[in-house]
Order: sequence, then structure tokens, then C-alpha cells
Amino acid sequence: MQVESEAMQNVQVVRLKGRFDAFEVPAFTDWVERHVKPSHAQVVVNLEGVEFIDSSGLAALVKGLKRCREYNGNFVLCYIQQPVLIILELTRLDKAFTFYEDETSALEALSA
Amino acid sequence: MPYSNYEKWKTTPLQEPPFLSIVIPAYNEAERILPTIGAIASHVSDLGFPWEMIIADDGSRDKTVQIVEDLGFANLQVLRAEKNGGKGSAVRRGILAARGQHVLFCDADNSTPIEEVSKFIYQLTQGGQDLAVGSRAAEGAQEENKSLMRRVLSGGLRVLVRYTLNIKVRDTQCGFKMYTAEAARHLHNLQTINGFSFDLEILFLAFRQGYKVAEVPVTWIDAPGSKVNARKEVQRFLRDIWIIRRNAWRGMYNRAPEAAAEAPQLANSPTA
Ligand SMILES: Nc1nc2c(ncn2[C@@H]2O[C@H](COP(=O)(O)OP(=O)(O)O)[C@@H](O)[C@H]2O)c(=O)[nH]1
Repeated sequence: MQVESEAMQNVQVVRLKGRFDAFEVPAFTDWVERHVKPSHAQVVVNLEGVEFIDSSGLAALVKGLKRCREYNGNFVLCYIQQPVLIILELTRLDKAFTFYEDETSALEALSA
Repeated sequence: MPYSNYEKWKTTPLQEPPFLSIVIPAYNEAERILPTIGAIASHVSDLGFPWEMIIADDGSRDKTVQIVEDLGFANLQVLRAEKNGGKGSAVRRGILAARGQHVLFCDADNSTPIEEVSKFIYQLTQGGQDLAVGSRAAEGAQEENKSLMRRVLSGGLRVLVRYTLNIKVRDTQCGFKMYTAEAARHLHNLQTINGFSFDLEILFLAFRQGYKVAEVPVTWIDAPGSKVNARKEVQRFLRDIWIIRRNAWRGMYNRAPEAAAEAPQLANSPTA
């Protein structure tokens, strides 16, 4: 999985591409460790390139969400592909996350 | 990719025999099963044919059965087993319960991504094949995250299998195989091996019965969480090669599988 990120004003956008499974979790967790700080806790995760996420990938997202909340920030998802949406629904995690159609609307919401 | 295809699949029981049945053997898969069901349901519902999914529990001691039953999907059935009988036994139960014209079995961890399924369907419908077996060794296959141990093992065993059992595919163990309904029932009715090397027996029988077998290169991710103990499995494997040869000499595979000819009836409601 590729992990690319970009800081836009006070929000960090992280773009993931590939299969988000146990092998790929460390790359994402590393990114969270290095980039999410009390002063930088606004995150938009772009999942446009992710077609499959397994239970460890889901756990990594939940961890990211918790970390941002601890710092009174936000951790939102955008560009969710159908398989990932269905997986979030089946595991009932759709309730835990806020989704946006695309980066623009996520950024607007977070900088409001 | 309309979500409504998936919604329809999960809420409306099929009115016609499925074109495809997907069987997933599952042993203590409470962690891994939902993402796999989701990925498969999302992809296959969009392919435009009627299909069903069968989770063949293998005496799981965790909540696998309950989690899947709780979904309450119209075209997803769970076959519960009281005891752990081995992957081969679970696959057999699933396949013999399948009503589809084509039957695929695949692993609970989605290690061969479901997106590969169309190549298999093509082999059976356009290519005139009876079996299409996933291959991590065929030309064009992509293997990610495979351990050295597995590589060495599969090399040695491959040669052995070819010469002792006359199986002409390079990868016998890939957990992604599709059959025509007729071949699936015929072969699994003759199956005697319940453990992981049931694949060998099925392929041995397939070549012996003269079925047409295509090897389809696939991407395969050796997902962490695999419950196979390599050393024990190799010993098993060797023993099972011997058992298959011996069964053949004794004529155990010669009986006519009457059940093979008949398709199971289409039940009104597939969900328990
Ligand atoms: N380990 C194991 N897996 C079983 C058994 N019965 C069914 N399975 C299923 O067989 C599939 C392959 O198992 P897995 O441990 O992932 O093996 P691998 O992918 O070949 O390394 C999974 O869907 C398991 O749930 C069993 O008795 N033991």
C-alpha cells in the first residue's frame, strides 16, 4: 500500500493506495505516529485507491481516529470505494467514522 | 458499480438457480470473515448474474457462525459443523450443498483477491474447461509476501506431485478453485481426504477422470494469520500422496458417484 500525505493549512490529507491489510498496517501506523500531534490532529484519509481492508486495517483506522480525538482533532474518511463501504457497514464501523464524498468537502468541513 | 446490486443480493432470495456458488471454508474466522464477505459481495453482486455464498463452518469455537448468521442475508447460508474436520471436509460440505452451475471455493482471508473471479468464469464458460484452478506459480502470477520456507517446500513437493500423481498443474494448493457443477459434485463425492491435501486428491481425480483443467495465474497475498503449521502439513502432505496412490490401486475411486449426476433441489429459502 502506498501512503502519501500533504498538509493543507491545518489539515493533513493522507492518501492510501492498495490493499489495506496486516502487511500494510505498519506503514499507516507509522504515518500516524509521525504526523499526528496535539497541534496537528486534523486528518482526512483519502481511500480512493483502497479496494480491500481487513480487520487489522480497520483497527488501524480506529486507532488513528482515537488518537486525533484525544487531541481534540478530527479524523475523517473520503472517497470510500464500494467494497470498503460495505466492509465498514458489515463490521458496524460505518457509525464510528465520518465520511465525505471527496477531499474538498472533507477539507471544507474540517476547516469550518 | 451500483450499491443497489449488493442491496438486492442481500435482501432478495434468488428466484432461479444461481449461476455461481461461492463456498468459503471457515475455521475460527470471526476476525477475518466479515471483510472477506464484504469484498466478495460487493464485487460479485455487480457482475450481473444470480449467485449465492455458502460459509462452510468447520467446528469453529469462536463466533464465526453467529457473526455470519446475524447478517441475515438472503443468499448467504452457513453450514454449521459440530466438530473440526479439516479444510477438505468443510469444502466438501459446502460444494455438495451448492446449487450453482459453477462453484468456486476460496479462503476466508481473501488471499486471492475476488477481482480474479472473472478469469475463472471465462475459462469455464468460454474456454470449455471443467476446472479452473488458481496458480501462484503459473506464468503471470504475482506472489506477494511469501516466506522462504513456503517457497522451498512448494518447489520440492511440486516435482514429487507431478511424478507420483500425474497432476499437471504447478500449484495444487492455491485456495481458489472453480468447477462446473457436474465436475464439482463428481469429484467431491469421490473425495476421501479431509485435511489440507484434499486439493491434491481432487486434482488427481480430475486428471484421471479426464476433466479439462486450466491453471489460472493469480495474485496471492500470503495473509498473516494463516493457521497452517508448515512442518506438520508437509508430513501430512507426503502421507496423503501415499494414501491417494494406495486408494487408486485399491480401486476406491472407481465407484460410480450416482449423486454426481443430480443437482440438489432449489430450496425456497436458502438462509437457515
Ligand atoms: N487452519 C485450518 N483452516 C481451516 C480448517 N477448516 C477450514 N479451514 C479454512 O481453510 C482456509 C485456509 O486456511 P488458512 O489457515 O488461511 O491457510 P492458508 O491460507 O493456506 O495459509 C481458511 O478459510 C480456513 O478458515 C481447519 O481445520 N484448519
